[in-house]
Amino acid sequence: MAEATLTWPKNYNEVPKAAFTRADLYADEIKRIFHGAEWHPIAHESELPNPGDFKTMRLAGIPLLISRDEAGVVRVFYNACSHRSNQLETAVMGNKTEFECPYHRWLFNAKGDLVGCPNQREFLPGFDKADYPLGQPRFELFFGLIFVTFSSETEPLETFLGEAGETLRELMAGDGRLKLLGYQKVRYDSNWKGYNDNDGYHAPLLHAAFKMLNWQGGKGRQYTCTRRGHVCFESALSVASGPSVLKDKDLIAFKGQDPSVGSRIVQLFPTFVSTKHLDVINLRFATPIDAETTEVHYAYFAHQDDDDEMLRHRLRQSSNLLGPCGLISMEDASIFHRIHIGSHTPGNAIFQKGVRDPSKLESEFLQNDESGNLPRWEYYRSVMGFERAEA
Amino acid sequence: MTLSAVELEATLDRLLLADANALDSKDMQGWLANYAEEDQASYYCRAAENTENNLKLGFMFDDCRERLEDRVTYVNEIWVGTFQDYRTRHFVQRIGHRQVDKNTAEVVSNFSVFMTPQDTGVTQVLAAGQYLDTVRLSDNGSAKLLSRRAELDTSVLPRYLVYPI
Repeated sequence: MAEATLTWPKNYNEVPKAAFTRADLYADEIKRIFHGAEWHPIAHESELPNPGDFKTMRLAGIPLLISRDEAGVVRVFYNACSHRSNQLETAVMGNKTEFECPYHRWLFNAKGDLVGCPNQREFLPGFDKADYPLGQPRFELFFGLIFVTFSSETEPLETFLGEAGETLRELMAGDGRLKLLGYQKVRYDSNWKGYNDNDGYHAPLLHAAFKMLNWQGGKGRQYTCTRRGHVCFESALSVASGPSVLKDKDLIAFKGQDPSVGSRIVQLFPTFVSTKHLDVINLRFATPIDAETTEVHYAYFAHQDDDDEMLRHRLRQSSNLLGPCGLISMEDASIFHRIHIGSHTPGNAIFQKGVRDPSKLESEFLQNDESGNLPRWEYYRSVMGFERAEA
Repeated sequence: MTLSAVELEATLDRLLLADANALDSKDMQGWLANYAEEDQASYYCRAAENTENNLKLGFMFDDCRERLEDRVTYVNEIWVGTFQDYRTRHFVQRIGHRQVDKNTAEVVSNFSVFMTPQDTGVTQVLAAGQYLDTVRLSDNGSAKLLSRRAELDTSVLPRYLVYPI
């Protein structure tokens, strides 16, 4: 089958709207990007803090099982029996040190070893349980954040992250010693790129809340790094002052340390967005469901050293501030849907804010520049093999 | 005032229906008026999946009267004009209740909520789950929500939420 083609505009600040909407590109994106040479965060190990804890999820259709064994070692497996590939575990999370496939009663331990299967004498001659552990994708941990890749070609995780690694470490409380508070999960009616193009980047004009809370944007920096165009924001925290329309001011209070860089966002190609804002630590694990749908699991965290009061504050702030119903983010979610609908029109999306020369790509931006997304688009174009039009 | 069993059931059902009606009418002041005027009046909306795993985080975590009042402000003032509006229809069915004392009852009810976005006009299920309510019964025979936990079977929402469930 011929691979999908799309002619890209000559200017770096233009993105064909067809990239968001053409269903025939989607299968190629899954192959080249989601099953290709990229790292994908799928969980933080603090989501499974105890021996025997596990989590399951699907990434671009691939079922995954993350488990912590009795000795505390975390591993990632395909969530499929090594016999006939029956889905092994159906719970989203739980605690088990053994996983039994009900189909033919194959039993695996939390290390992925096949430890039992009935009626072996009827199997192929020479059958050996040691040849049938659970399959595993490549995975690596970065301060507890678990990444997988389905390609043997992907460079080491540290290279993939580049300078974004440092901002990501800081975002995860500096040491990755997190404590899970819970999830908000949602499906957006948006192509995964429409979600990704608009989640990290925030136009403050959208947020009426900022104005009503007397909340001015803090001074900060936006930069991109690596050839993938990962986007990082580091901003001084601006805490609302003066009169507020809110009666419970704790929703927008900052009780942590270091307001000089109190706000961070790290957005990794292709879909991961993470943010630390006020006292909210939020990792967003996103996956395409189909060309028109993206599922996002917002996981929220405290720090392991938090006292009870801080824990309670983070819980109250995290639930109401930043997710699909959050005070300052519900309208982002609406934009994901509306961008997707509006992109079913001819022509290109033309980025303006922060673009100085459309024939060049830059890597340093002002906090609210939309041009920070452009290096990522250039990487997408190159991975997909789309030709840029001649000048 | 001591209510008979039948009177208590009728009182509780009036409250459940008043809340469904306020939400489906997008009447946030009416929604607020269904809650007791006590500091600890609360509304939580959370995936049951979180609760079952001892995770307290919710989609909405309004653990005091001030936060209930702030939620009215979100919808009526802060978010106006920023989202694709949608209609809802709440179907609520009381499945159990227990009178704890003269002024307090606990009620469990099932709910399902349909939504119809303004732009598409296509109706779909927004969420299903249970309300776990603590109800304040007053001496004049009225009932208000002291605490409501909307525990959602729907752990993955099909859409962002503007209005409480």
